[in-house]
Amino acid sequence: MTPLDFLQSLSEIEIVGGLTVLSLLIGGIIMAVGIIVAKIAKMIFYKYYAPTLPQDTAKNLSKIIYFGIIIIAFLTFTSSQGLDLSGLLVAGGIFAVVIGFATQSVVSNLISGVFLMVEKPAKHGDTLQIPDMGISGTLLDIGTFSSRVRKFDGTVIRIPNEKFFTSNIRSLTSSTVRRAEAMVGIAYKDDIEQAIAAIKNEIRMTMPFVLMVPEPEFRVEELGDSSVNIQVLVWHPRDDWSQAQPILLTTVKRALDKTGIEIPFPQRVIWEAKE
Amino acid sequence: MSTDDSSNEFSKYGVYDVSERLDLFLPNISIKFERVSENAFFYSRADSEGNVSEKMIPAKSNQIQIELAPIRPLNHPARRTNYVFLKFDKEIYLSEDSAATIYVHCPIEIGIFLIHDQHRESLDWVTCNPLNSRFGLYGPPDTGTLCKLAEVSLATDMSDSISYVEGVMKILIENSLNTGQNFSKVIFPITDHSVYYDDSKAILDGLKVTLKKRAVVSVADVQPEKIQTDWIESPTWETFSKHTTVEMGLE
Repeated sequence: MTPLDFLQSLSEIEIVGGLTVLSLLIGGIIMAVGIIVAKIAKMIFYKYYAPTLPQDTAKNLSKIIYFGIIIIAFLTFTSSQGLDLSGLLVAGGIFAVVIGFATQSVVSNLISGVFLMVEKPAKHGDTLQIPDMGISGTLLDIGTFSSRVRKFDGTVIRIPNEKFFTSNIRSLTSSTVRRAEAMVGIAYKDDIEQAIAAIKNEIRMTMPFVLMVPEPEFRVEELGDSSVNIQVLVWHPRDDWSQAQPILLTTVKRALDKTGIEIPFPQRVIWEAKE
Repeated sequence: MSTDDSSNEFSKYGVYDVSERLDLFLPNISIKFERVSENAFFYSRADSEGNVSEKMIPAKSNQIQIELAPIRPLNHPARRTNYVFLKFDKEIYLSEDSAATIYVHCPIEIGIFLIHDQHRESLDWVTCNPLNSRFGLYGPPDTGTLCKLAEVSLATDMSDSISYVEGVMKILIENSLNTGQNFSKVIFPITDHSVYYDDSKAILDGLKVTLKKRAVVSVADVQPEKIQTDWIESPTWETFSKHTTVEMGLE
């Protein structure tokens, strides 16, 4: 038997509805070539184009390229073999309705993922806060169904895209600078201007990451029960939060200690009526 | 910091050979190179803020060459921007359609470079005046430009450099507006500017600032201007960016 005869015999073995073993074999070859081409295209994309793109975009584009080529290969196979998929489409339509109800949240996450990629409320590497969920951390990626955030404690949390998309997102890295705040109370007997001057000077001398334009701001916030409460507001480069906020109160206290200004304990004056 | 009297006791800018040991002294900073083996040197640096840097330097020969040179003031306390914000201690008034040339002090840092086959490799940097090395913002918090801020005084001429601390920069200001203008600050990307040294003094490439009308707003167009000098050009510490200009708004 020649190879031609062998192929002829395969084309005569019908599996179902006009689909022969030969057409299945051709389909397999087309699909295999499609997968190989898709992998090569993905590899070329990653090597030459992905480095110039944001990580999320590169990842999603590579998926589109990969699955796009595979779908094209499948369509080539069906059209070359003259397969009629109308029956499959009808059955698929009914199946899709059933599956649609069952996988509503999955589809919702998928659609939200697409919207997240289009709107880009945050990108890979951004530090963000999702107040509704009490999550703060660095965005690792926006995937097809979920996004991953590395929290400041080092753990990674997966957030379904639907929740991520519909939540309030506070970006901590989209501004050039950020503001750190602290509140301190000084005794009523002490001079407010002197306290402010001392704190201002100490910040200037010891906190190099605090911006001098705009200058540190001081607000007498409250004449409290035990102290005059002063709010200290300083600006710092957005990535240097750790060089400002955690040490601001220490700096303020050191300044007041140096000048002998008292930070009073809570106190209450009790008047006793005479008989 | 008065330095003209004290600069003699400090090490001058320039190229040094290190065969066994070399001690360099700058205001509040001491730098030491020491041979520890046939092909290795030990480097240490201590500054006034208590920071100490120590490095081992493997060498191909039994001698190394280093260069001490002024560099752009972008590294202290950390590299965050290419921009410098010079805030003048006195405002300059320019009447309509006039021009003026001023000299201002501009802070510098000092780079320590290793010389390998005529190439300069950045080894370390120091600042002799950390208190005048702070950040400032030009513009609003979300879209503004982060700058290294320095409050500077006017200099008398190009030779009025403050040794190890401030170089001198020439600024040509042209007011092409039909009203007088006060000029008290300038913001520019200093990566377009070279630094030059002689002995312990430093100068920088200049600026040309044109106050003009753009549409309905008055702006200051800031362009770098190369200077002609026979002073030695410092090696470049940072990546060089070219053709960057700034347009500042005028109050």
